[in-house]
Amino acid sequence: MRDRLGDLQVFISESPEEARPSEENQNPENAEPPELFMFDGEDEMDRIYKEAQLMQKEMLMLKLDVKRLGKQNARFLTSVRRISSIKRDSNALGRDIKARGEAIYARLEKLGKQSRELEEEHGATSAVARMARSQCVYLTKAFHEAMCEYNTAEMLQRENCKTRIQRQAEIMGKEVSREQIEEMIETGKCSLFSDNLLLEGRSARSALTEIENRHKELLELEGRIRDIHELFFQMALLVEEQGCKLDNIEANVGQTRDYMAEASAQIKKAVRYKKNNPCKKLLCCCFPCCR
Amino acid sequence: LITCNFSSAPFSEILNGVIKSVKKDGEWKVLIVDHMSMRILSSCCKMSDILAEGVTIVEDINKCREPISSLEAIYLISPMEKSVKALINDFKDTVFTYKAAHIFFTDACSDSLFAEIGRSRVAKVIKTLKEINVAFLPYESQVFSLDNPSSFKSFYGSRPCESKDRMIENMAEQIATLCDTLKEFPAVRYRKGPEDNFKLAKEVSSRLMAHKADNPSMGEGADKARSQLLIVDRGFDPISPVLHELTFQAMAYDLLDIKQDIYTYQTTGVGNSKQREVLLDEDDELWIQLRHQHIADVTKKVTELLRSFCESKRMCTDNANIKDLAQMLKKMPQYQKELTMYSTHLHLAEACMKTFKATVDKICEVEQDLAMGTNADGEPIKDPMKSIVPVLLNNDIGPFEKIRIILLFIFHKKKGIGEENLTKLIEHANIKNHSTIITNLQNLGCNIIGRNTGNTLPVRKERTESTYQLSRWTPVIKDIMEDAIEDKLDTKHTSNPSFTFLTLCSSARFGHWHKNKSPTEYRSGPRLIIFVIGGVSHSEMRSAYEVTRSTDGKWEVLIGSSHILTPNGFLNDLKSLDQESESEQSRTIVTL
Repeated sequence: MRDRLGDLQVFISESPEEARPSEENQNPENAEPPELFMFDGEDEMDRIYKEAQLMQKEMLMLKLDVKRLGKQNARFLTSVRRISSIKRDSNALGRDIKARGEAIYARLEKLGKQSRELEEEHGATSAVARMARSQCVYLTKAFHEAMCEYNTAEMLQRENCKTRIQRQAEIMGKEVSREQIEEMIETGKCSLFSDNLLLEGRSARSALTEIENRHKELLELEGRIRDIHELFFQMALLVEEQGCKLDNIEANVGQTRDYMAEASAQIKKAVRYKKNNPCKKLLCCCFPCCR
Repeated sequence: LITCNFSSAPFSEILNGVIKSVKKDGEWKVLIVDHMSMRILSSCCKMSDILAEGVTIVEDINKCREPISSLEAIYLISPMEKSVKALINDFKDTVFTYKAAHIFFTDACSDSLFAEIGRSRVAKVIKTLKEINVAFLPYESQVFSLDNPSSFKSFYGSRPCESKDRMIENMAEQIATLCDTLKEFPAVRYRKGPEDNFKLAKEVSSRLMAHKADNPSMGEGADKARSQLLIVDRGFDPISPVLHELTFQAMAYDLLDIKQDIYTYQTTGVGNSKQREVLLDEDDELWIQLRHQHIADVTKKVTELLRSFCESKRMCTDNANIKDLAQMLKKMPQYQKELTMYSTHLHLAEACMKTFKATVDKICEVEQDLAMGTNADGEPIKDPMKSIVPVLLNNDIGPFEKIRIILLFIFHKKKGIGEENLTKLIEHANIKNHSTIITNLQNLGCNIIGRNTGNTLPVRKERTESTYQLSRWTPVIKDIMEDAIEDKLDTKHTSNPSFTFLTLCSSARFGHWHKNKSPTEYRSGPRLIIFVIGGVSHSEMRSAYEVTRSTDGKWEVLIGSSHILTPNGFLNDLKSLDQESESEQSRTIVTL
């Protein structure tokens, strides 16, 4: 990486006055800073940016919930007794995640709709349509990642529970395979341990309690996953629809077309801008009614 | 060993050094690219990566663009006249197209262009001006491309090319930026023979010196003194780019229609979508695992992996196969990424095998015998003409397949064949309108029509690993890689004159180094960088990974060229070598 800004400044300071373009002296408006040109759809983009920011915040909250769930799950593994000071239990977190997820998804859908409307209004190759579409892709990807994190957290807990059950069963002198545990989850029954067991001794009894707790947890976990299935399905649908090209930079640039400005409209806007220069922020309100 | 993934260095240069470096919270920016920089950027980053760092839109500098003067612009461009003029143009009128400019050149900007910028109005709004020194495409973790397929004609065209010297300078600069990015200052060696090898080596050497002057940390580290950059020409091994390969990546790109690394296939997914497009790149972990494996192993492996995946997720199916995947996807949409991956590779493998069984399997045995000079039992082949004639007369086999057989036959003869014989073969195969493909190979220095000059194919190493019968061939470059690493690439390779490499500039000259102060992300071991003039084939790319693995990661072998070859692409390139210009040709591009 080579910084050449210094070289540029040296060049400018050293080059004679005549070498610089004379257009500077010709243009009487030169004294003013270059005019800012509002591009077609800028106010709509501002709204989309705001919405995107809010969605990002929501996704952050979702990810935090997922982390909390992870911690929660880990606690259940390491403690034998329930810690009564735990503020929220896994199911409540699961419900929270589901609600937030569904809300974000609804917003994503809405954003997608807005993006399509912008495409229709300004053209698919217009700057605003491409900006909106990119935001959709970006947010979809972020949300997808967040949901996958949730799935991973739950699956991790699942594996840990199964391992714990196996170990506890060993303590009780019984070997349990992973498939048997899967069956337990599916049928919901913990019938494995009702026969031929050495239930003597405290360790055996506490092992049994432990197994029953883990089993209960597994069933609740399965419940949470079933509950959120619809959301995963919708996410998958969305990702599938988008395909791989929308996130690909080359494909995006390939989509761009030469901008054909409508000359008269531009002049109108420029004139309006010049007149209202000091209060250009207020134009945001004026614009829609002037279309 | 701390390994710096080759493709992560340019990624971080661009994402961190360029985009993140000018990021301002709450402010979005426009990113403007030209063709070359767009290709580089696209191979390192995705849209979502740059959006996460404050870029809201990517524009093509050569298109007429909508003014967005409330936003600042990042110009990531190559220092060419066309791009610089377009940049200056954006700030010519009363209304500036953008609020300010952050300029990043892919490599060194010439003084004249720099002066033009200084003299223009854009100079008033330039907030950043840097040269990032990334002017190559990191195609894979050990493969790079200079994205210049037209250079093939410049190097090997029958008519002299005026801009060849200029092109060599540019390519040298691109290769130098590669070394710069990797902090390498290798010994530059080139294969003795073709003048262009020497010319390119000389230019690379001088660019490396220039880069080192600005970036003294290049080549620092005891091991780095052993790093080498080898320049070879395509004519040195004309067999590898035409042989049918049965490893996954090579086979897929040869037999199927894969454009821009996107594989398209028909399937049902979560929804009713029928067509799925998948990018075959290193984001696909399964692709990384499978791409160099033999096709027979691929199907087995994927099926195995899918079965164990299904079992672990309790997706009860009797046979985990393609048809069940759609069901699984609906039942467990959270595994869309994984299931799509399995689906893609199962389909890809199936498609390869289908095409293979249609015609290619008859050809492979003949090809391997010709390339190796021996049959599967190790006995020298006695009458190759006898085995190729039925192939040439077979109407089910396409013209390009027949050409490949003829070429392998000629290469087998080592000193070329008589003109009459060649004419006969061309007639048998009925490929008269493609015959220049064969004769143009002489431009690469290959013996086609019997003569004693030109390359003699090198004597090969004995390979003792067991291979599949139809995959006995090893690309010549693999022998070279191994010799280079073992320091056996002497100036006088008496047994193999075509393996003679001359050393232009030894990094040992700058032998003083201080204790490794370089950041831990940079690889400490030596690197072997191979540049092939005229295109690199998939089997040669594979060799780079194989040789790296065989050193237990002590060495890292990188290979690259102006472009990546497919057999059809190579033949098409050859076809037009004797013609004047694009507009004069009437290409008959044959695809399978």
